[in-house]
Amino acid sequence: MIEAVLVMNTQGKPRLTKFYHHHMTAEKQQEMIREIYGVLCSRAENVSNFIEADAIFGPNTRLVYKHYATLYFVFVFDTTENELAMLDLIQVFVETLDKCFKNVCELDVVFNFGKIHTILDEIIFGGQVLETNCIEVMKSVDEIMKLERSSNTILLAPIVTSGRNSR
Amino acid sequence: MALSGMRGLSVFISDVRNCQNKEQERQRVDKELGNIRTRFKNEKGLTPYEKKKYVWKMLYIYMLGYDVDFGHMEAVSLISAPKYPEKQVGYIVTSCLLNENHDFLRLVINTVRNDIIGRNETFQCLALTMVGNIGGREFAESLAPDVQKLLISSSCRPLVRKKAALCLLRLYRKNSDVVNVDGWSDRMAQLLDERDIGVLTSVMSLLVALVANNHDAYWSCLPKCVKILERLARSQDVPPEYTYYGIPSPWLQVKTMRALQYFPTIEDPNTRRSLFEVLQRILMGTDVVKNVNKNNASHAVLFEALALVMHLDAEKEMMSQCVALLGKFIAVREPNIRYLGLENMTRMLMVTDVQESIKRHQAQIITSLKDPDISIRRRALDLLYGMCDVTNAKDIVEELLQYLSTADFVMREELALKAAILAEKFAPDLSWYVDVILQLIDKAGDFVSDDIWYRVVQFVTNNEDLQPYAAAKAREFLDKPAVHETMVKVSSYLLGEYSHLLARRPGFSPKEIFAMINDKLPTVSTSTVPLILSTYAKILMHTQPPDPELQDQIWTIFNKYESFIDVEIQQRAVEYFALSRKGAALMDILAEMPKFPERQSALLKRAEDTEVDTAEQSAIKMRTQQQTSNALVVTDQPPANGPLSVGLVKMPSMQHANDTNLADQELIHANGAMVLMDPQPAPVAAPPSADLLGDLLSPLAIEGPTAASVSSEQNLMPGLESGPDAVGALALTTVEEQSNSVQPIGNITERFNALCLKDSGVLYEDPYIQIGIKAEWHAHHGRFVLFLGNKNTSPLASVQAVLLPPSHLKMELSLVPEIIPPRAQVQCPLELVNLRASREVAVLDLSYKFSTAMVNVKLRLPAVLNKFLQPISVTAEEFFPQWRSLSGPPLKLQEVVRGVKPMSLPDMVSLFNSLHLAVSPGLDPNTNNLVASTTFFSETTRAMLCLIRVETDPSDRTQLRMTIASGDPTLTFELKEFIKEHLVSIPVASGPPLPAQPPSQPAVSNASFTDPGAILAGLL
Repeated sequence: MIEAVLVMNTQGKPRLTKFYHHHMTAEKQQEMIREIYGVLCSRAENVSNFIEADAIFGPNTRLVYKHYATLYFVFVFDTTENELAMLDLIQVFVETLDKCFKNVCELDVVFNFGKIHTILDEIIFGGQVLETNCIEVMKSVDEIMKLERSSNTILLAPIVTSGRNSR
Repeated sequence: MALSGMRGLSVFISDVRNCQNKEQERQRVDKELGNIRTRFKNEKGLTPYEKKKYVWKMLYIYMLGYDVDFGHMEAVSLISAPKYPEKQVGYIVTSCLLNENHDFLRLVINTVRNDIIGRNETFQCLALTMVGNIGGREFAESLAPDVQKLLISSSCRPLVRKKAALCLLRLYRKNSDVVNVDGWSDRMAQLLDERDIGVLTSVMSLLVALVANNHDAYWSCLPKCVKILERLARSQDVPPEYTYYGIPSPWLQVKTMRALQYFPTIEDPNTRRSLFEVLQRILMGTDVVKNVNKNNASHAVLFEALALVMHLDAEKEMMSQCVALLGKFIAVREPNIRYLGLENMTRMLMVTDVQESIKRHQAQIITSLKDPDISIRRRALDLLYGMCDVTNAKDIVEELLQYLSTADFVMREELALKAAILAEKFAPDLSWYVDVILQLIDKAGDFVSDDIWYRVVQFVTNNEDLQPYAAAKAREFLDKPAVHETMVKVSSYLLGEYSHLLARRPGFSPKEIFAMINDKLPTVSTSTVPLILSTYAKILMHTQPPDPELQDQIWTIFNKYESFIDVEIQQRAVEYFALSRKGAALMDILAEMPKFPERQSALLKRAEDTEVDTAEQSAIKMRTQQQTSNALVVTDQPPANGPLSVGLVKMPSMQHANDTNLADQELIHANGAMVLMDPQPAPVAAPPSADLLGDLLSPLAIEGPTAASVSSEQNLMPGLESGPDAVGALALTTVEEQSNSVQPIGNITERFNALCLKDSGVLYEDPYIQIGIKAEWHAHHGRFVLFLGNKNTSPLASVQAVLLPPSHLKMELSLVPEIIPPRAQVQCPLELVNLRASREVAVLDLSYKFSTAMVNVKLRLPAVLNKFLQPISVTAEEFFPQWRSLSGPPLKLQEVVRGVKPMSLPDMVSLFNSLHLAVSPGLDPNTNNLVASTTFFSETTRAMLCLIRVETDPSDRTQLRMTIASGDPTLTFELKEFIKEHLVSIPVASGPPLPAQPPSQPAVSNASFTDPGAILAGLL
């Protein structure tokens, strides 16, 4: 099970935090982010993407991360997940963001954090892999976007969407 | 969601980004929080749009790390909004801000259910997502059937069904009863025929969870899993968008192979053959390529295939193929592959017959110890540790020692510990062992704990051949310019005892040895001084004929310490001074330390204790546990380490030693450190028996098997009741259990006491079974999960667990399986409801059979009063009116408690905190008093506030006055007694188990704990 998804920039500022397993106080979350950042920023290039997270998240937790430009993408998970598959999933997440935002950069993540949550929810669900096909993810996200836009403009229109959305 | 539409939010984010420093950011955030709070207070004027905007802001602020302790209701209420954008925000933000126990969630269960059973798919998705993220037990009970319907519905879109599958997984985790095994296993098999890869991936995750708990019910799914694997890996029959860098959905392949690892074996030969065909194809068809992502994906599948092959106990040929593959991986350029190669090789150690082929890669593994990546270095260290045996111990340990000088600071402690353990377990000869430990202290003294050097002393004392060698080595190391204090301790001990054996060698005259040690005396701490004083006394004794000059020097030092502030040092100085004037009589008194009885190494014991883990079960975890325990325990391996036992000497029985001690109790009282010469110093050399060997090294046996020693040590077993503490008084006597041949590992009472203060841990352990416990508390409801783990390679039979609940607890234990398969762990949930306050304790009567031995233990369950307390802090305005309104008995009781264990106020505060009593500082103007409050939950009282006041007397910490008030007389009384029990005697959390019966172990109760001999004796 995936326990947490964290996106932070290379200064250690959180850009997206989602905890699946334990609900934590904001303070505790920040402490973890700080600790993870401390480990991440001391790692050289060209080393593995794995870190044991036992000390931070408790026994038998693993952490994979990927560094893209100014952002770190971090997945924390337990031993029931395959390390490399998690690394692939980060790649799927980032590729999807890239497609949604056309060359995603940190600013996109900052100003669209709601949309980022929506995208993440289409990829990971309650700590489990939900969808790995980024075309499928984009499709669902687009549907949600459309829905949101239409209900923003036609405020009084009754929302009966099932008919329209089913294929 | 599209924040683009919300200008206010964008402006806020920009503002925060523009802040120059943390302080500015905090001010900006506080301002915004203030603004939101005011707007929410006046909710009437809020448009849904505004509400949505503020809720988004709250989430953003929360992410930045600020507490958002209000507005939860507003977020939750958006879920009920009729329009999509508001609803969506409500669901997303609620999932992030609230946890499953939040009361507000109950308010929306109906709305959520309506969304799930409604016909609007987008609403269904939102609702499923929230439930899948934070749905708790109540959601499980009320929503599971609806979610199941969605999953199997043929009219639903895949988008909804895959979410339903994972949502059901969450609900199943919260309450496994929601899936009715009989009906559902066929459904699962049907679901595995699904063509949509997205749905299939989710269904596979669900299957993994189901099979992990109960593989028996899902046998029919096994061939389907193999089919799926064939479809993906062999036929590559997937839509192109589900191939990831050319690999057909690696996630689904990995999950499928994971599911297969939860089935103990595959019996059907056809299925087995097909599966091995696919696995062979994966193992052989994967190459390291340029593209990193493709590499990752193909190796994700490959490593999972390796794990499955290991699990299935493939033929030797295939295993060797795997090892060869791993050998290739640990040398590749790609660091991820190197890392996983090492990790999987460590797992591979579990497989019999491949150790030899793994050893062929030793050189490469040692190279990995110098990898630039610390993650890889750690893996290499683990692997070296695991693969070490007598044949390669010398090479590996020496490599570790060498690496110690350059290793990262963060790894040194682990390195030192591992080197010490390996040296002890696999020493080809004992002089090498002494060498290694002394080098270890020399290079990393800070990380060498006391038990490591005690062990050296023990070995040297018990092996006469080793004594001159050890003394020579000790002198060599002590002579170095900068010496670690631990080195001073061990060297001066060894030199005091044995340097006289070498007195004729140059540099070993008593004078020279004294000068060398005395050089260090000014630099050492007070814990080392007593040891050095003993050494001086011994040097004096061994100087025959007496050397007046040396005598003067040493007496001067004794005189100097006669009035030293530390009592231990003072006493020794006075006594040694007096003793050393006795002349020849000294010989009798200060004789050499007698040999130590054999016992388990404290170090190895500690190494095992760290392995204890009772978290949820998983195939991988079980595998890793087995693997690490294999690394630490030699019992699984052939006892090839014979040489170690050659030096071991069978000890005179413990009983005998005790008699001696008893007879000379006076003397021992007098000086603590000295033991009278054994009148019968007849250590009979025993042939190195397998038993003796097994004992020292086995983690399971705690004490020697010889009947004499067992009988005398029974009452010293740490598993027995220790001392007259109040909680202990409630304890069921475990003495009768001792008639079983099975000894518990660890102290049952201590384990229970520890669990009274925390919610997960080990409740009981013996050589065959480990019982872990995990508890959840919600108001007056509680839920335990008992984890019964069979530690052995044969099954435990006739397992029975009977609950003996006290009258105030309603308890229900789910069925405990009669047989626990080898190396398996079963979970038994136990539900309980607290009816009223009481200090009585529930007892679990557990019995099982291992081969012919019947074992029966009665274990107290930590469902104690404080578990139903929830700390609540109150203000003065809340406290005093309540306090006054509860005017006197029976609602308010006061008692002067005497015989309180003396503790400082901060200690008392932390004790109260650990009992879930919230101390409110400053409520009582008198700083010697404490005021605390808590809420008690039971079915009769519901939530009831309890108030506590403790008045302490700074001049006499052993007494205090306590006043307890609540709205229920029973509660007041029980809570008072409960707190009293904890004040009068604090449950020992954990620590070295000290022997309990002073008469049988007089040396210990009085001995100084800085003397290794005394400590060693104390640990016996």
